[in-house]
Amino acid sequence: MASNISGLGPQENGLSRRRFLSAAAAGVTAGSVADMTAIHGLRSEAMASELKKQNKRVILLWLAGGASQFETWDPKPGAKTGGPFRAIPTNVTGIHISELLPELAQRMQHTAIIRSLNTKIADHGTGADLMECGRVPDPGVKYPDIGAVVARELGRLESKVPDYVSLYTSTEGRRKGTSGFLGARYSPMFLSESMTPANVVRPDIISEIDHHDRAALRDVLAKRFTTARRNQAVNSHMSAYQRVHGLMASADLFDIEREPESVRNRYGSSQFAQQCLIARRLVEADVPFVKVARAWWDSHGQNFETHQELCADLDHSMSVLLDDLAERGLLEHTLVITLGEFGRTPNINASLGRDHFASAWSCSLSGAGIRGGVAYGKTDDEGHRVVEGEASAGDLFATILAALGIDHQHEYMLGSRPIPLADFGTNPIREVLA
Amino acid sequence: MMPSDESAAALQVADSKAAAPAMPQTVKVEKTIGLPAIGFCVTQGEAATTLFVGMSDFAVHRIDMAAEKIEAIPIGQERHNSYVTGLVRAGDKLVSGGYDGALIWWNMASGEVIRRVESAHSKWVRMLAVSPDASRVASVADDMTTRLWDASCGDLIATWNDYEIKTPHGFPSMLYAVTISRDGRWLATGDKTGIVLVRDLATGQIAARLETPIMYTWDPKARRHSIGGIRALAFSNDSAMLAVGGMGKVGNIDHLEGSSRVEVFRWQDNVRLYEIEDNKLKGLVEALHFGPGDAWLAAGGGDNSGFVTIYRMDDGKLAAQEKVGSHVHDFVFGTSPDTVYAISHNQAAIIKLT
Repeated sequence: MASNISGLGPQENGLSRRRFLSAAAAGVTAGSVADMTAIHGLRSEAMASELKKQNKRVILLWLAGGASQFETWDPKPGAKTGGPFRAIPTNVTGIHISELLPELAQRMQHTAIIRSLNTKIADHGTGADLMECGRVPDPGVKYPDIGAVVARELGRLESKVPDYVSLYTSTEGRRKGTSGFLGARYSPMFLSESMTPANVVRPDIISEIDHHDRAALRDVLAKRFTTARRNQAVNSHMSAYQRVHGLMASADLFDIEREPESVRNRYGSSQFAQQCLIARRLVEADVPFVKVARAWWDSHGQNFETHQELCADLDHSMSVLLDDLAERGLLEHTLVITLGEFGRTPNINASLGRDHFASAWSCSLSGAGIRGGVAYGKTDDEGHRVVEGEASAGDLFATILAALGIDHQHEYMLGSRPIPLADFGTNPIREVLA
Repeated sequence: MMPSDESAAALQVADSKAAAPAMPQTVKVEKTIGLPAIGFCVTQGEAATTLFVGMSDFAVHRIDMAAEKIEAIPIGQERHNSYVTGLVRAGDKLVSGGYDGALIWWNMASGEVIRRVESAHSKWVRMLAVSPDASRVASVADDMTTRLWDASCGDLIATWNDYEIKTPHGFPSMLYAVTISRDGRWLATGDKTGIVLVRDLATGQIAARLETPIMYTWDPKARRHSIGGIRALAFSNDSAMLAVGGMGKVGNIDHLEGSSRVEVFRWQDNVRLYEIEDNKLKGLVEALHFGPGDAWLAAGGGDNSGFVTIYRMDDGKLAAQEKVGSHVHDFVFGTSPDTVYAISHNQAAIIKLT
């Protein structure tokens, strides 16, 4: 992508260089190579600063493989396509969801359901690309995913915690996430083998004392160096080192043993629940974007058995997460999203499964910037198509950004090419916004 | 469902040994009939050719397999509020159970509802079984309870809560299968994690605990869930053997790609006689019935398509099998065990064993 960033102005180059230095140091720890290649177009720095002060955060609960809208947010009891489960009333009059989500049904005041996604792509890889990036993949541009965009927009240069953390410890459908043209600075810290990041842990061969002594020596030398050479680049380099130490210190955030037993018990023992607890710890520590992926909803066979199992996990884990965030005063600042690459077919196949389906499906948004207690959009009686409020992946992307107070039409300049945060022609769904 | 009909089927076996093949050499689909919905469970009326089928349209249907034009007609006006997944005949009554947690007693001839127990279980009823004297009906459900009912009036006689509500991995467990032995003495149940309990029907005391852990199909890494479980149980005609059906280890639990699996126990000694896996016709074993003299065992099930397979009980080997159009959820023998009526996804099939 480096070839696409010609024509930067002096100020922009300065910004890029500073961020490059910061990212390069962080990249040493993260084991990646920074390549800051994109910048903002015109926008008030004051506005950007104000946005970051609002401390908005996102937890994306990624339902990998594609959950069924019939067994979650858009039940059709009694329809030929409806399956065996009932719809149950929620604590918001007029809104019913699947009986497989009884705990979430009592927390609908926090949540807006979108029942009218028509995203057209029903292939795992491309569908995930679409839903994560809010636009159809373009061979000429590597778009950043929603996590990278939020990290870019809400993360702080001086932050000592990661901007984007992605937990995905199942192997099926594992996706690392992409920062695209935003560069490695906004790539996720990706946890795929354990729930604790391995690459921010101090190597055993260096003792804690040695570690601190080395840092102290570096600080002494650095201060002597900067006293004689005061400029922005050197300051930025110093900041980057502080960030590296911050990232190392952040390993504790992944250690749920540091939570009281009562809190751990409340979340429960499933891996997904424990990762939701980690997500809460991370947003509490100002990590702007955390993705928790739960595999594997791809229920071509035994859809109803699969959803009985996985919905129970989602229902409990997400309910505790919402409660915990609310009790800590974090929910008004934290947007909790349930989303996957697509939904599931109305037709029930001979294995009692549902196949891939992207023409009429659902997601949910809870918390920050969201008008809770709303069910937006409508599908027909058997769930074959959207009949009201059709929304695209780009519209959802724009809605998420709007809920966070980010202008979805704001443009990144990739060289001379303006690229809006949300795709051209997309609009936030105002009905679900607070 | 199928074990619940075992008593009826076994009686037919006893009455028609002469017509039954000693050891079927072939299985052949003779005719298929379209159904208006997914058929989950089947039982027979006074005539073995009269089927009653519980379906995904929430209704119980009557099908006359001997009619010139075979069609499924809902009995009565009432329906369950969800899929009908358990159905037995107790004398002149039918008893059905469904995902709505309800049990319904029907007048078999008129289709009139005699009694409706709305909250028979707090979760989905998976299967029913009836005692050979038609005095008792047993039900199992995902509330992990086994309940015993007075078949004549629908009064609850006993509730047993011996199963764990959750799997070892913390997810909701399921209690799929129940059957009663032909001598009316034993009741067996099987859950998602592969635990079989056999109890004395009169006292409720547990007489045996068997384990079939492979049928659990828990995937700890790739997908982190399971879709298996014990789906079928059948006592042999002499009550000495207990056959357990499900699915073997599965690489891709998005689909029913595991080998179809049957384990046969001499259950009173907790001895596993046979561990049978079929990789040719894969998927869940949903129904099991022993043939005459316990010489063979018939299994029905499938993945996206279905199968009926015959296993020899002298060595546990496959004797004959045939692919059926769609996933077989249940089957019964016809007027003799050379005929199988299989109920599957939007289809009924007449299958000949020769």
